[in-house]
Amino acid sequence: MSEFNWVLRGRCYKLGNDVPHAGDVIPASFVTGREMNPDVLIPHLFERIDPGFHTRCRPGDLIVTGRNFGMGPKGNGYVAMQALGLGLLCESTSVQSYRAAICNGLRVLTHCTGITTLCDTGDDIECNFLTGRFTNHTRKQTHDFPPVPEELRELIAKGGNKGWLASWWQTVGARQQA
Amino acid sequence: MGFTAIEKVLARTSGREHVQAGDIVYPDPDMVMIHDGLVREAKGELDAIGIKQVAAPKKVMMVSDHDVLYGSDRAAERGAFNRKAAAQWGIEAFYDAGRGGHGHIFPMEQGSVLPGMFYFDNDTHATNAGAVGAFGLRVGNEISRVLATGTTWVEVPKTVQLELNGKLPDGVQARDVGFYLARQVKFGKVSVDLDYRVLEYAGDLDQFGLGARVALCSTPTEMRAAGVFVPPSAAVLKYCNEHAKRAFTPVFSDTDATYEARFSFDLSAIAPQVSLPGNVGNAVDVGEATGTAIDHAFIGSCGSGMYEDLLCAASFLKGRRIASGVRLFIVPGSERSTRRIVEEGLMQIFLDAGAMLLPAGCGPCNDAVVGPVARGEVSLSTATNNNHGRFGPLDARLFLGSPATVAASALTGKITDPRTMPADAALRDRMESAYV
Repeated sequence: MSEFNWVLRGRCYKLGNDVPHAGDVIPASFVTGREMNPDVLIPHLFERIDPGFHTRCRPGDLIVTGRNFGMGPKGNGYVAMQALGLGLLCESTSVQSYRAAICNGLRVLTHCTGITTLCDTGDDIECNFLTGRFTNHTRKQTHDFPPVPEELRELIAKGGNKGWLASWWQTVGARQQA
Repeated sequence: MGFTAIEKVLARTSGREHVQAGDIVYPDPDMVMIHDGLVREAKGELDAIGIKQVAAPKKVMMVSDHDVLYGSDRAAERGAFNRKAAAQWGIEAFYDAGRGGHGHIFPMEQGSVLPGMFYFDNDTHATNAGAVGAFGLRVGNEISRVLATGTTWVEVPKTVQLELNGKLPDGVQARDVGFYLARQVKFGKVSVDLDYRVLEYAGDLDQFGLGARVALCSTPTEMRAAGVFVPPSAAVLKYCNEHAKRAFTPVFSDTDATYEARFSFDLSAIAPQVSLPGNVGNAVDVGEATGTAIDHAFIGSCGSGMYEDLLCAASFLKGRRIASGVRLFIVPGSERSTRRIVEEGLMQIFLDAGAMLLPAGCGPCNDAVVGPVARGEVSLSTATNNNHGRFGPLDARLFLGSPATVAASALTGKITDPRTMPADAALRDRMESAYV
């Protein structure tokens, strides 16, 4: 796991509270259509609220949200975020939404209470997901939030559920099922 | 130190002396359920890795409820794929289209989901298992990991207790309690967050039969509860004992268990509820919505697809005719209920009233694959939720009500207080004994 990059630094994109997954994160048609192909999803990430987002964001950029991000269990948008190399920092998100993000290998922190007061869109920010240390280089401030739980680190480092399963199959599963 | 029911069930299945809320565990489930809508994705993911077998095929139940009628080529292809998948994985408990029915209903009716059980499910409404005192936990696409390895990670949820005191007035049903709960939370009358909590009911629960207990599980699920737990009554345990397909041990919370919050409702103060379009929490007393003309109605879904609900519908429809311009779909939760509809005389009542019977399953509630609304239409149904676009265009107006409210309203053509319409007493009385 040592080669996995747990520290992201980039531009801040700040969102408000109660951002629905279907509609605002990714168009609802991709959710109901169970579309999970990142190449298909990427051009539509935040399409409704920030057209062209995918052309401006860069790997390492961090999406900072208010309370109740995602508002449910769907994870199609997280596929696009993960493929773009983005990270996600939420004041709160439903547990099933958090689960969907982790399942898709996204570097994500929740319970970041007050983080929307610590940064603005465009700030140069950094997050260490293993320690929870958040740094706003623009404001020259740091703050500590709960890090990624130890039990879930391997899952993220392997790229989420698919990557974890492929790794499990190579190391354990094939022998077990032989 | 006492433990909640979910903590006890997860301790047992995780091989631990005890667990508590917040722990991350890897339970060995009693069952794994996957529905027809996700088999292709799960199998495709495993096949791409080279995983051709599932870890415990005897534990897996595959159900066909989301798209039963195959109204498109795509659906027919999906059904064909699912049949091949079941054969390749060696799944004996494969319930094909037209077999079994709704995966969150028929397994309880036939004694496959039993008190004290824990299972993984790809679908959110696995919470229905709480109606018999069991737990089904949604893991979404991670069901592929469960299929391949037998388990996945689970954070032990906190539990919130809701005490129901008194007796529901005539004409008020268990679905109304759920809408009322969502309303109280949405408008800040009750300060409780159900996100990934288990909602455990307490209080005067003996008045609720199995069908009503299923209804009690519905709305908390839309409020993002991880589970709902209705401590099984003597009547529920008797039913389960008589139908059980396996041994089971009921589980109850300890009296000194740790709850995150406790609150109570006076059932006698609750009126029939109607959830206005957009969210289950937009509920109002039915009087505030009466008179709204409707085009579309259906009775069924995870929340109201039990035989009790069908008896309730029939008690209003008997000897009456649905209003002109309204289409009413009846969607039984199980093949067993469909059979009973015919054997016990309800089919004639529905036909005489002009209602349409759909095969057991999700009905319109799944993404409008059958019986959708048109643009600008108004629907009143017992669907699990009324989020915009749930079963049709975004500008259709989707109202929710209890089976009694939907049936009465389909007859008048406008939202109607069921307390103003006499129901057939003999059919209504049979509701109490629907599952004995």
